[in-house]
Amino acid sequence: MSEMQNLYLVVPLAPLAGAILAGLFGKAIGRTGAHVATILGVAVALFASILIYQDVQAGNTFNGTVYTWATSGNLSLEVGFLIDELTVMMMLVVTFVSLMVHLYTIGYMQEDPGYQRFFSYISLFTFSMLMLVMSNNFLQLFFGWEAVGLVSYLLIGFWYTRPTAIFANMKAFLVNRVGDFGFLLGIGLVAAHTGSLDYAEVFAQADALSAKTIELFPGAPWLLISVICICLFIGAMGKSAQVPLHVWLPDSMEGPTPISALIHAATMVTAGIFMVARMSPLFELSETALSFVIVIGATTALFMGFLGIVQNDIKRVVAYSTLSQLGYMTVALGVSAYSAAVFHLMTHAFFKALLFLGAGSVIIGMHHDQDMRNMGGLWKYMKITWFTSLVGSLALIGFPFLSGFFSKDSIIEAVHFSTIPGAGYAYFCVIVGVFVTAFYSFRMYFLVFHGKERFGQAHHDHHGDHDDEEPSDDHHHGLAPGQKPHESPWVVTVPLILLAIPSVLIGFFTIEPMLFGDWFKRAIHVTASHDTIGQFAEHFHGAAAMAMHGFTTLPFFLAMAGVVLAWFFYLVKPEIPAAIMRTFKPLHTLLDNKYYFDKFNEVVFAGGSRLLGQGLWKGGDQGVIDGLIVNGTARTISLVAQASRLLQSGHIYMYAFSMIIGLCVLLSLWFSVV
Amino acid sequence: MNFVVPDFAPAVTELFVAGMSLVILLLTVFMRESARNIGYVLTQLTLIVAALLTIFTMDGQVRVTLSDMYVDDLMGDVLKILICFSVITALIYGRGYAADRGFDRPEYHLLALFSTLGMMVMVTANHFLSLYIGLEMLSLSLYGLVAFDRDSARSTEAAMKYFILGALASGLLLYGMSMVYGATGNLSLSGVAQAIYNQAAVYDGVSSKTVLMFGLVFIVAGLAFKLGVVPFHMWVPDVYHGAPTSVTLMIGTAPKLAAFAMAMRLLVGGLFDLAEHWQTMLMLMAVGSLVLGNIAAIAQTNLKRMLAYSGISHMGFLLLGLLSGVVEGDRFNALNAYTSSMFYAIAYVVMSLASFGIIILLSRSGFEAENIDDLKGLNKRSSWFAAMMMIIMFSMAGIPFFIGFFAKLSVLQSLVAADMVWLAVLAVMMSLVGAFYYLRVVKVMYFDEPVDTAPIHAASDIRVLLSANCLAIAFLGLLPQQLIDLCQLALVASFQG
Amino acid sequence: MEFKTFVFYLLATVMVFAALRVVTVRNPVHAALFLVLTFFNAAGIWLLLQAEFLAIVLVMVYVGAVMVLFLFVVMMLDINIDRLREGFWSYLPVGAVVGVIMLAEMVLVLSGPYFGLDAMPEPPAAQAGYSNTRELGRVLYTEYVYPFELASLVLLVAMVAAVALTLRKRTGSRHLDPAQQIAVKRADRIALVSMPAEKE
Repeated sequence: MSEMQNLYLVVPLAPLAGAILAGLFGKAIGRTGAHVATILGVAVALFASILIYQDVQAGNTFNGTVYTWATSGNLSLEVGFLIDELTVMMMLVVTFVSLMVHLYTIGYMQEDPGYQRFFSYISLFTFSMLMLVMSNNFLQLFFGWEAVGLVSYLLIGFWYTRPTAIFANMKAFLVNRVGDFGFLLGIGLVAAHTGSLDYAEVFAQADALSAKTIELFPGAPWLLISVICICLFIGAMGKSAQVPLHVWLPDSMEGPTPISALIHAATMVTAGIFMVARMSPLFELSETALSFVIVIGATTALFMGFLGIVQNDIKRVVAYSTLSQLGYMTVALGVSAYSAAVFHLMTHAFFKALLFLGAGSVIIGMHHDQDMRNMGGLWKYMKITWFTSLVGSLALIGFPFLSGFFSKDSIIEAVHFSTIPGAGYAYFCVIVGVFVTAFYSFRMYFLVFHGKERFGQAHHDHHGDHDDEEPSDDHHHGLAPGQKPHESPWVVTVPLILLAIPSVLIGFFTIEPMLFGDWFKRAIHVTASHDTIGQFAEHFHGAAAMAMHGFTTLPFFLAMAGVVLAWFFYLVKPEIPAAIMRTFKPLHTLLDNKYYFDKFNEVVFAGGSRLLGQGLWKGGDQGVIDGLIVNGTARTISLVAQASRLLQSGHIYMYAFSMIIGLCVLLSLWFSVV
Repeated sequence: MNFVVPDFAPAVTELFVAGMSLVILLLTVFMRESARNIGYVLTQLTLIVAALLTIFTMDGQVRVTLSDMYVDDLMGDVLKILICFSVITALIYGRGYAADRGFDRPEYHLLALFSTLGMMVMVTANHFLSLYIGLEMLSLSLYGLVAFDRDSARSTEAAMKYFILGALASGLLLYGMSMVYGATGNLSLSGVAQAIYNQAAVYDGVSSKTVLMFGLVFIVAGLAFKLGVVPFHMWVPDVYHGAPTSVTLMIGTAPKLAAFAMAMRLLVGGLFDLAEHWQTMLMLMAVGSLVLGNIAAIAQTNLKRMLAYSGISHMGFLLLGLLSGVVEGDRFNALNAYTSSMFYAIAYVVMSLASFGIIILLSRSGFEAENIDDLKGLNKRSSWFAAMMMIIMFSMAGIPFFIGFFAKLSVLQSLVAADMVWLAVLAVMMSLVGAFYYLRVVKVMYFDEPVDTAPIHAASDIRVLLSANCLAIAFLGLLPQQLIDLCQLALVASFQG
Repeated sequence: MEFKTFVFYLLATVMVFAALRVVTVRNPVHAALFLVLTFFNAAGIWLLLQAEFLAIVLVMVYVGAVMVLFLFVVMMLDINIDRLREGFWSYLPVGAVVGVIMLAEMVLVLSGPYFGLDAMPEPPAAQAGYSNTRELGRVLYTEYVYPFELASLVLLVAMVAAVALTLRKRTGSRHLDPAQQIAVKRADRIALVSMPAEKE
């Protein structure tokens, strides 16, 4: 067993070693050295993960401490691993996608001066993410949680000379703080009421917890478990970008594309989903929390999809589709279909990374022009990118037999069977969402790869509509007139092909063990009354049958309708969208402004806090704190310092005298005591 | 009348160091001028061998020998090893500095060796006499070292102050010891403890308690001088400032460990039954040190003075651990509290070594980098050592996750366990005040333009050792538990029962 | 009153008076002489306690050696006593208050019942042939050998420190090193110059 423990340690430490090498000694080892070191690190982690996977499949799970950091009273802070089916699946996904992204980065970033820095960051991210998923306690979870947030912050602002990037990373940072605050409160409550931070110990006390109540406001008792779960979920909302804490994710596209693929699509943003699935023994006890989860998830799934329709930036479309898909996963969590959520998480990681990397490949081909209105007809020039993007889009819209179909349909079915309050609304959202997903996905696909070749012309120049966060304003190179896009180098296309394979196949082969087998039996806990997947299982007769049946269901028709509509609008009659836009001007404005979330935040939160800040500054800070406390303290301190300087005169008899006086005081005090 | 020759084996380290110091003294007298750095080499060798001897003879047994005057226990062994390493490090750091200023004579290293011997004697003392003589040996050597740069008026003045005040403090300590002797009829620490215990049991205890208390006050005062806590702290800034930095380095590090040992021997080993009284005394002094040390440090522009005041506040923190041992007669938690103090002392020594090491590193012949302004823009001159200094400052300020954080944390925990929450709150607030001046140093290093642009030239042994020292601060912050466990083990093995 | 008691009080009074005068007289030579007087009285008190050896040592070492040296130093240095006493009067009130409090507390403790004959019974009278000096020597070299040896090291430290701080090679002082004188070779002193014979 200790051999396996060493192997567990290898998984996070190998990428860390790569990150340190590339980060601290980047100059010394050069560009090639940096990518060789980090890729090797991640490859080792992937290989080790595969070995661990085989071990887990043989039935060997592990839950234990590898290192005690400090013991503080009864609470011990330790680094420990919980290796079970859920963990090992996440490990495989993270290391695999990370490896693909590492490879891809060689091509994508080849001209960037921050090459080594970038590799160091993504390896550091991989380390943090692995620590997060392998954790067996809340402390380490929180460490990983913050560490991935930090790397994400660094990477969104990777091009730190662009003001928009700095704005975006600040925004991501602040919004995530809101989520983290909830998360930390949740962890604090858990620690306070169970006295432990270890998953297993906390889950063992879950039933006892569910009996407790807590008075948030005097006279209004709440079930403690609900409060804990909602607090934890608020953390997940921040990290997994659920409404209304989603606003940072679209802006995070300011970062380089490989990052968008790795962090803001495939892995980090799914940390919230993973965390809730891991906490299933707690969430199962609180129907209130589950309802909350459903409503938030369903809203995200549908309304973020709408926003994808009006975007012109290729990466933003993918970003909104990510938001929407995260909504699907959250809905699945809410209806207790944790395994379906995690299943979708996995398939989504592959096809969304594929889509992002495909988009990145297009961006390379277009010389860093991201505006879809300047593209069109690219399929002739970028055959591999075109084909893999088609696969990715089909997987995303849930075309039968592709991986996305299995996971998405399972979620829809699970919602259908659920009886938790809010499930009806959610069912509506996810069904309509299918149509919307298909529409915007293929809108993007057609605009980019088919139709008239619009590149090499004068650029569209109206960024006026939302120029505050239009990406890469100062990075728009674009193609010169007459220049043709060309296929990307092999380091870019090979990861695309390697990601396309699981995007097609993985759903078909894993749905049965993951959803209906006992793969997650030990890792995920579902109470019988919530067991939507179990009900769904009764209708399940093998993956092939499910896919065949898929051709006849409502979601399939809706998806096809979306594709056809996109084809009609953007290839056959491109004037129609413009006409609709004019007719439904208010609606378009609403969508274009992203439901005014940013405006709202800016005016209410930012403005309000600025106002509050002004008030506090003028009244509280300058008046009370500066006037009384700080300046007062400063005055006091300078007084004390003056006094002590007076005493510290350098005269030896003063020193001796102060000693004698001290002695005298002590003596006198003890004479009054004795 | 019969006298049995005592068992010298437990005291082998002290005997070795004493013998070697005489050998070195003779050798260096007859050596030619050119071969005199043999004094340095031999001193270092002696210290290394002494540390190794202690390591190899270390076990958990408590052995008392030399007519009850010497005790060999685990706490003593651990502290002796740390003292040796601390002095070794200080000598390596200070060697180039001393050579540049022309006081790199054999006597310099010899006095350092004698001071180490003094500390070892203190650490292993089980008797008022051996404790006092060890203290005097340490103090005399240090007085000599402070004045060693004899052409510097500032050093001479500092030495004079240190000498006179130190003599006064010795007098107080000795007077206190004589009072305790008067009350108990015993000079051996274990004998004193037994006598006090018996008196409490047999007599009403009132009669000699007054005398005991009288002696206790004087003993605590002498102890407080050695630790440098308010109001017996006045020598600290002047001596730290006035002494050559290489000597400040020696005064500010290993003797703190010896002073901790002295406190443990006297207060816990000898006068434990008076714990509630000396705890209150220590509390007054701790509060004074925390407040005065931190606030006065803010007003300093000289780095050495600032570190001196910061040292005063750190010693206040150390007292907090010592004073939270016994709660209303309940001794259950005492060893935990003393463990936190010991851990704090060790952490402080590691940080202090590194911080004065940085000052030495930046100094060169004819230039003392002792003002905070001299650190301006250090990042531009050497980003590595700026980062190292940042680690030190963060650790001293108690920012997670450096060793200083865990040291403060463990002391605060013992305070809370002893129901002295208000003290813990005060300590935290004063640490926040303290964070200001530590962070100011970091700010100056990273955000100000360099005034002094001369490149840093220092011997590679200093560079490597200093880097290792700073990284140890960071590394121990990641693995504090082993060190805490070691302290706990040492104290349990030495004082249990 | 017993005669011994009378002698004790006499010696004690003179000692305290002399000690006070040490810090109050204006002339440093007088101060040193008062210190000598203090030591003499202390030695007398030790004699009363039958500690003859210590009494003699005190007189020989402190009075005979240390104080004589001290007097030489005081006489050779031109110490401006008035500058040293600057501020004496301004600090006197605070100093006096602290001094009186300390004194009161010490008197309370030391004169109380704690050190009376009840608390500390008189030791049995010494047998005939009892030698204070021999007993002292015996414990010093047996039981107390550890602190005794350490104390010798402390003295050594003091010597090393003193020599290190004061010994310096003066440049320009006119003294001859006999070893060098003896080691002189002919070649060092005489240079043979061969010159061509000069013609008139």
